[in-house]
Amino acid sequence: MSERRAVVSVEALSKQFQGGIGRRAKRALRDVTFSVREGEIFGFVGPNGAGKTTTLKILMGLIRADAGRATVLGHDVRETEFRRHVGFLPEAPYFYDYLTGREVLEFYARVCGVERARRRERVETLLEWVGLSHAGDARLRTYSKGMLQRVGIAQALVHDPQVVFLDEPMSGLDPIGRKEIRDLVVRLHAEGKTVFMNTHILSDVEMLCHRVAIIVQGEIRYEGDPHAMLEGEVRDTDVVLTGVAPALIESLDASVQGGLRGVGDRIELRVPHKAVGDLLGKALAAGAEVVSVSPRRATLESLFLTAVEQGGRQ
Amino acid sequence: MSGIERILAIAGNTVREAIRHRVLYTLVFFALALIGTGVLLASLSYVERERILQDVGFAAIRVFAVAIAIFVGIHLVHREVDRRTIFTILSKPIARSEFLLGKYFGLLVTLWLQIAVMGAGFVVISMLAGAPLEVAHAAALGLVAAEVAVVVSVALLFSAFTTPMLASLFTAGLWLIGHLSRDLRALGAQSESDVVRRATEAVYRVLPDLSAFDLTVHAARGLEIAASDVVMPLAYAFGYATLVLFAATWIFERRDFR
Repeated sequence: MSERRAVVSVEALSKQFQGGIGRRAKRALRDVTFSVREGEIFGFVGPNGAGKTTTLKILMGLIRADAGRATVLGHDVRETEFRRHVGFLPEAPYFYDYLTGREVLEFYARVCGVERARRRERVETLLEWVGLSHAGDARLRTYSKGMLQRVGIAQALVHDPQVVFLDEPMSGLDPIGRKEIRDLVVRLHAEGKTVFMNTHILSDVEMLCHRVAIIVQGEIRYEGDPHAMLEGEVRDTDVVLTGVAPALIESLDASVQGGLRGVGDRIELRVPHKAVGDLLGKALAAGAEVVSVSPRRATLESLFLTAVEQGGRQ
Repeated sequence: MSGIERILAIAGNTVREAIRHRVLYTLVFFALALIGTGVLLASLSYVERERILQDVGFAAIRVFAVAIAIFVGIHLVHREVDRRTIFTILSKPIARSEFLLGKYFGLLVTLWLQIAVMGAGFVVISMLAGAPLEVAHAAALGLVAAEVAVVVSVALLFSAFTTPMLASLFTAGLWLIGHLSRDLRALGAQSESDVVRRATEAVYRVLPDLSAFDLTVHAARGLEIAASDVVMPLAYAFGYATLVLFAATWIFERRDFR
């Protein structure tokens, strides 16, 4: 993955929104720099108001940056033509509700330059893909939020783009809807597409993303592999033993005994990660049986909250 | 895909939205009803019944066409922004100028269709009342369509950067002044002050001269209409609307959609 070319490149992007009369200007982005590589699922993570959507809208040409440079597929984001290779699902999308699902997809396909001969086939394929074939002739005003989200996904893919940008794709969906969107993201990745996903749902990031950037108060706090980030943070390990003799417990040092819980001859211990080998050696030598050994990793949420708190203190 | 095809896609969708908008049918219905009341008003007079009938008919067509142009035109861009549909459109391979032109031509085609319907109503009522119908009537109706092209461009300009409330006030105000700008210049020309003369001339040059599109009196009275009475206003409408659309695009290109 690391050898792949960058399809999204953001360098020192800054943006300040002018306040209205009597309001202060708000700095939304400050020297934001990151890149997204071809074929990866990239999570752009941050709390509400951190600058995720502003960054995404700059990439989509909806907002102009004050400073810095952003390119997608090697093109400046202020250009237009490269967008035939880019799909975008905005947060809580809204479409022309006087159109049917089929009509709205045909409209977007036409705007994207999909040839007339291919248009109908492409629309039907996508309706089936997102599970809306049965509702293709219903007006969008009758659609549920989950169905609109799926129309949003379909319109983002109607021209078969190489890169797909999703802004909070799981927002407001029930667990089933979230799973469907997750499955769609995995499927896009399997088809070789690059997926850029704005989100604050960290479990989705852990589950889906190859790389993440964490943005807080308009500044990037971290960019890299979320799993590598978590692996470096193993501090303690929970060990469960049975058949433990009292002599074994007495032989444990004070730091281990502090994390001791037990009923009868079954005990649970929380030991420093480095002390696990020593403990297991002693336990096995004393005739105890090892039930489980579970390293306790920091969750992405705890790391994320730490990043946010650090941002808040500055 | 060429820009023209993208413009046609946006225009087609704008027409479809208008066709599925019931309020517009109601407005056209009221316009037809008002044209019909011309018969009633004409019956109250002993003289020039046909002229009264056709004066009322043309006034109804003009007022309702302009009212619909302003009512729909001021929402053209604002509704897209307010409902966030603009995010999915402008993230596609379409230039902002193409989007704006698509919206403009979509509304214009819709309005011309409505003018055609109202014109058909006018013809039917004129025939029933035995009022004469000549080429001048068609020319007068054509210039109402040209006037609407200018009004829509102005509404779109204001819609590109301000709220519908302000855009409606600005556009309606400009329409009213546009029908008075020629008189304003004539008044200013009689002034002894050079400043006043220059100021009224400048106002006339900048604001649309909408009285150029009014051939109602010629048509209703059966006066002769020269080719230049039609061609010049058409060229003026084309030039003025083009300049206003350039200005609207220039503003729209620089907008952030938060």
